[in-house]
Amino acid sequence: MEFLKRFAKRLGFTLLTILAMSVLIFFLVEIMPGDVAQTVLGQSATEESVAALRDRMGLDDPLHERYLRWAGGFIRGDLGESLYMRGVQINTIFWRKVGHSVVLALTALLFYVPLSILFGVFAGVKEGKAPDAIISFVGLATMALPEFVSGIILITVFAVGLEILPIASIIPIGENLWQNLDILVLPALSITFVMFGYVSRMQRSSMVSVMKADYIRAAILKGMPRKYVIFRHALKNALLPTITIIGMNMGWLFGGLIVVETLFGFPGLGSLTMSAIKTRDIPLIEACVLFITFIFVFATFTTDMLYAFLNPRIRYKRGDA
Amino acid sequence: MKTEPVLEIKELDVAYHTLTDTVVALKGVSLSVAKNEALGIIGESGCGKSTLFYAIMDYLPVSSSRSGEILFKGEDLVVKTPKQMTKFRGSKIAMVYQNPYSSLNPSLTIGFQLEEVSMFHHGMSRKEARQAAVETLSDLHLGDAAGIVRRYPHQISGGMQQRICIAMALLCKPDLMILDEPTTALDVTTEAVILDIIKELKDKYNMSLIYISHDIGVVNKVSDRIAVMYRGEVVEFGNQNTIYKKPEHPYTRALINCMPRAGVLKENTQLNTIPGYVSRRSAAETGCPFVARCEKRNATCEEKYGMVERKPDHFSACDRAYATDIPDKVLSKEAGSIPEGAEPEHKTILKIDNLYKYYGPHGKRIRALDGVDLTLDRNNVLGVVGESGCGKSTMGHTISGLMRPTRGKIIFDGTNISVSWRKRSPETLRDIQLIFQNPGRSLNPSFTIENIIGRPMLKLLGIKSKQKRRKLIVDILKKVDLGEEYLFRRPKQLSGGEMQRAAVARAFSIAPNLLVCDEPTSALDASVQASVLNLLVDLQKDSGAAYIFISHDLNVINYLSDYIMVMYLGRICEYGKKTEVGGSPRHPYTEALLSAVPDVDPSLKRGEIRLHGAPPNPTKKIKGCPFAGRCHRKVGSVCDTTPPPRVNFSDTHFAYCHISPEVLNSEISVKGIKK
Repeated sequence: MEFLKRFAKRLGFTLLTILAMSVLIFFLVEIMPGDVAQTVLGQSATEESVAALRDRMGLDDPLHERYLRWAGGFIRGDLGESLYMRGVQINTIFWRKVGHSVVLALTALLFYVPLSILFGVFAGVKEGKAPDAIISFVGLATMALPEFVSGIILITVFAVGLEILPIASIIPIGENLWQNLDILVLPALSITFVMFGYVSRMQRSSMVSVMKADYIRAAILKGMPRKYVIFRHALKNALLPTITIIGMNMGWLFGGLIVVETLFGFPGLGSLTMSAIKTRDIPLIEACVLFITFIFVFATFTTDMLYAFLNPRIRYKRGDA
Repeated sequence: MKTEPVLEIKELDVAYHTLTDTVVALKGVSLSVAKNEALGIIGESGCGKSTLFYAIMDYLPVSSSRSGEILFKGEDLVVKTPKQMTKFRGSKIAMVYQNPYSSLNPSLTIGFQLEEVSMFHHGMSRKEARQAAVETLSDLHLGDAAGIVRRYPHQISGGMQQRICIAMALLCKPDLMILDEPTTALDVTTEAVILDIIKELKDKYNMSLIYISHDIGVVNKVSDRIAVMYRGEVVEFGNQNTIYKKPEHPYTRALINCMPRAGVLKENTQLNTIPGYVSRRSAAETGCPFVARCEKRNATCEEKYGMVERKPDHFSACDRAYATDIPDKVLSKEAGSIPEGAEPEHKTILKIDNLYKYYGPHGKRIRALDGVDLTLDRNNVLGVVGESGCGKSTMGHTISGLMRPTRGKIIFDGTNISVSWRKRSPETLRDIQLIFQNPGRSLNPSFTIENIIGRPMLKLLGIKSKQKRRKLIVDILKKVDLGEEYLFRRPKQLSGGEMQRAAVARAFSIAPNLLVCDEPTSALDASVQASVLNLLVDLQKDSGAAYIFISHDLNVINYLSDYIMVMYLGRICEYGKKTEVGGSPRHPYTEALLSAVPDVDPSLKRGEIRLHGAPPNPTKKIKGCPFAGRCHRKVGSVCDTTPPPRVNFSDTHFAYCHISPEVLNSEISVKGIKK
């Protein structure tokens, strides 16, 4: 009951956030300097052609009508038409790229979540000893490298040096991602480089504090073996802050990999956003940014719910069982 | 000794090593516990009680060393490997801890945490283990054992949690159970029930117990033989009665005299204080650990020191407890040191009229105060007592303005102040001051003591000159026995007692007329508590301020107050002069509360009223008497349906109860304090 109430409340807030963000994105694009049609057509365009485009884009309609038309299109699943690639429906390219990004994000999650939690736990139970120092150092070092530096290092080692992985994540024309799974490895590794230090440090510090808790002492002095105490008693409590951190970065992972995707030329949402900005393809920019916002908000919502679900103190309030 | 002891500790030393030096935590501790015997260990914080059980369980930090022998049924635990120790832990030697809530894993069900013990030690399947868990739980008088195992720790009350912990310790039928302050975090009536259970189970399972506590009263209830520890040594060891009646070590003697106890009142006795504090012990130190603070010390303390059987079965490390070459401190006050005959001015300073305070949203609101009336005169101390959740702190906070009452009036010195502090006049703000339970958390850690005490002077007295303020601050610091050198210290650099004295100095720095003390000594050790209580008594006598002294500890309330108010679930149960409420309690709840108080003097045997269950859910509207559900003298359904009427016993003494006044008066309870 408590859980459902919490769910409904958070979902309401989530939807409200998306609404507010859509208004913000729409008007930000609106108040950009210069006439949109002029921008699209360039300085050399004639006044007639600009007027014709304005008319076609409906730029002369009142603001609220244009917003409703735009937002309504999104709800119906119509993202509009690209300006740069004349006559191409955004829908036809957008979702494929989003799909690629999701696969990349999941691959990266698969790489770094178990890795950093495992090493974080290990460092945490060996607090102050050599393994702790080594893991902390590696985490800090990889965290300090920006992804374009670590990416280049990875390319140099695996693609140029060992020649076991492709340099760029390009899908040859006529093939799809599933036939080219090896292109996922380097971008995912480079994301792992960024996230490992972050998540493992979080896991380490929560593990350290949980291992000092009275209930861990109680479990050890009940005669439980050490491994059992760590994995059955400590881990479940120590995971909660880590889940928050992973969840908070989910938005970035699914929608904000602009640098990584650009570096490897990975055909995902990040590089699409990048090229939309470069070509001033306003409807495409709006679609990308709104979608990324949506992912951020939704990832936060999911994390929140997961946290509540894993934490019995939130799941059941005192008294009801 | 007839039987082979279950546990025999011989010359146990434990030291903690830091990079620069070595701190001695235990030194030459020798103790033995016979089969089915309960050994009590008392001492203040820092005396090594916890280190002792950690040493037995081999749970010391890596940077420590342990030497000596710990013989458990003949096997030396000191030489066991960690792996071998797991065979003893939880199965042959079990533990119960101070804080049941934090000792239970919050994200595992109670059942899971019970089952794993039997599964590991007895190789049971989960189903058998569940069966065993339910059976053990019913030994602890937990009604719905099968339902409780499915719950999470936060879903049950503190008393239940502690029973779960005890059940967990019992599952493997251990030979020895170590209890580390198991009732300190519980209310006094719950404590009494738990102590009963512990006693009962000790005999049922034929276990030996080691009961560790700072509270002699609690230890008295469970164990016959008591060891007193000080700075890592056992300084005295003997029967509870002889330890209380004729302690043989100066420390034990000084400690007992620190404790507020039956027959000791502020009118007739000053509490003893022990100067100085418990300091760390270096490896080089020899002789008596208490020598620096002992008032009976002389040249023989160094070489004559050592455990000797002074009387049959009574060991002490010192023979100077009653040395006459250094006279005892005079603690009894001459009659008239507090003018009792010449009643001081009877000026009412505070009047509370039908006060209500609700928390939370409608429908789930908690009735923290449910219609409280009271008047308080100058020069008087009103002790407010009750168990957690009875609204005593809420009352203190509404009076001091930390929060606004939901309904009702607070009249202070003729002005209605039932508003939040923002709307109070500077005079009122100055006149009502508050002292909190935990000085470490109520004093700003980044301020110096001068800032902490000086700020109210600047803001409320408008003393702009820093020089002038400093002079006043030094004066007030001297009054609370802190020197000028404390001006520039920060709270972190002070001990617990010094911090609380600084908090008292802050409150008194602007000469308030009403001081609300919210459990000001609950977090302090007995000897430190004594110094703070003495200070509060002296300051009150000098300033004529009125106190509202909130505490769960009836011994403290009884020592310090003039009037006592007993609260239950936001309402007043009984109110009267100290002699009336403490001496002849009329309300069944007061009776039960008094009978549950652990006595320092083991020869006082109080009545055996045990309250079962927990106070009702405070979000439910109660039509009748809030205590009806747990009352041992319930009249009938009228208790559940009608609010109890006020019954007056004297001009100052009344209670709210359905029992007819004749019965309440005639059955003058035998549960009060009797000598």
